[in-house]
Formats: sequence, structure tokens, C-alpha cells
Amino acid sequence: MSSRRSRSRQSGSSRITDEQISDLVSKLQDLLPEARLRSNDRVPSSRVLQETCNYIRSLHREVDDLSERLSELLASSDMSSAQAAIIRSLLM
Amino acid sequence: MEVISSSTKAPFEQAFLKNLLLILQDRSSSTPFHAMSLHDRKLAVKSSADIAMAAARGGGARWPKAILPPATTVANSCKAQRCRRIIVRSKRLCGGNYKRKSSMVVVRRRTMALRKVVPGGDAIDMDEASLLREAMDYVVHLQAQVDVLRRVSEVVQAQSTSDLRCMAMVVIRDPGFVASIMLCKAGEESMDQDFDWFFDRSVREL
Repeated sequence: MSSRRSRSRQSGSSRITDEQISDLVSKLQDLLPEARLRSNDRVPSSRVLQETCNYIRSLHREVDDLSERLSELLASSDMSSAQAAIIRSLLM
Repeated sequence: MEVISSSTKAPFEQAFLKNLLLILQDRSSSTPFHAMSLHDRKLAVKSSADIAMAAARGGGARWPKAILPPATTVANSCKAQRCRRIIVRSKRLCGGNYKRKSSMVVVRRRTMALRKVVPGGDAIDMDEASLLREAMDYVVHLQAQVDVLRRVSEVVQAQSTSDLRCMAMVVIRDPGFVASIMLCKAGEESMDQDFDWFFDRSVREL
């Protein structure tokens, strides 16, 4: 293993190396949708972290909107057992 | 990059869907959705979705614990008798386990915003490496949550517009989802055993 200096000089298993961090950051980058980051370019980790925050916030908004839409549908829809029987026969 | 294969993704989505249906059904049995205000209704669905997601993820990460209060399980959060079942958990979507580092706090400015959006990210003993792993795990499961919610909405929408042709198309794509939704709304008497049987059968066909 190359002798990378770790930021933390603590002993034991708590040493977190720069290499570990940048490895985690690049894995995180791979999760982000392509529109947010061009994954073949070298992107600074601060940018990756920022885009991750933005992405999580947009996912939260999406869950919010979908919850609203689903709650409206559940309130207004009226499922009768006859319809259930039709679907069951389609699936069986 | 770890590829999320369909064999690992499907169990979480199924677990999430099952939990979601259980919680929604329980909530609507105490107060029907149409009797709730717009705001309460949306909150009920959203919190159900978050609890279902956290319960399905289980104990392999820290963010689910930040969403669920301690000693809350799907079983506990459901008052109805039917709901006292085993919480459906599944393996995490990303393969492998990771050991949490011992409590060395490495605070860096650029991670502060991330700590705020990841549940449990602002815990005092959350070092940067753990935060990044939590964020990765959380993002993956959020994506699955969005995916399932979207498909559930499509099924319910198709059913409520009484468009059987549209329904048939959804069914062909995702029989398991439709089966679960239809049975959930079919009526309480036939729910119990039908739900498990039909759900498991559809899951096997996936």
C-alpha cells in the first residue's frame, strides 16, 4: 500500500485516508444521473457533494409530488370488488 | 461502480411496496382518505412512504433509524390487528456490508449541506466516510421509493379512470404491483390470506 499520509493521526481503525474519501466520492458520483455530472471528466469532490445534495432534494420533492398525487387518487377512487375480480381473472 | 442488479433491487422494492400497502390500508381504516383534509392526506401518504422505505431497508444503515423513532416498526405503527406482521426487510441494494469507523469526528465544511439532507447525517459521531456511505445508500433507496410510488400512482390512476385497456397494459408490464393494489382495495374480508398468497405468487412471477 502506498504511503499516503492520512489526515487523522489517530491510532487504531479510525484512520480515514484521503484515498478512501476520494474513492467514496467517485462512487457517489456514479450514482448521480448523467445530466448532473459528466462522469468521465475529473470533477472536484466538492462539486460531487453539492450535486448529491441537489439530487437528494429533488428526489424529496419528487416523493412529495407523488405522495400528493397518490393521496388525491386514493381519496377519489372507488374500488369495487367486481373490478378486483376482473383484474384477478386477467392475472390468473 | 457497483451495479444494482435486478435481483437485489426487486426484493427491496417488493418489501417497500408491501409495507406501504399495509400502512396505507391501516391508516385508511381509521380515517378514510376522502374524509381527511388535503394537507393531512398528503402527509399521511408521504409519511407512510418514508416509514415503509426505512422499515424495508432495515438495520444495515443509519438513516432508517433517523426516520423511524426508536422501537417503531411497521407492526407498531399499525393499530389494526391485521397489521401485526413481520416487517418485511430485505438486503440492501448495494452489495456488501461496511463496518462503521470508531468515533473520530472529521468535520469539513463541504459536508455540512449533505449532513442536513441525509437522515441522521448530523449525528455527532458521523464521520465523513460514514456520511458518504450513508448518502450513497440513501440515494439508491430514494430512487427506488420514487420508482415504486410512480408505478403505484399509475395503477391507481388507471383503475380510477375505469380504463381497462390501460390497466391491461400496466398489468402486462407489472402484474405483481397490480395484484397487490387491486387486492388492497378489494375489501377487507378477503384481504388477509388473499393478500399474502397473491402477493407471494406475483412476486415469484417477477
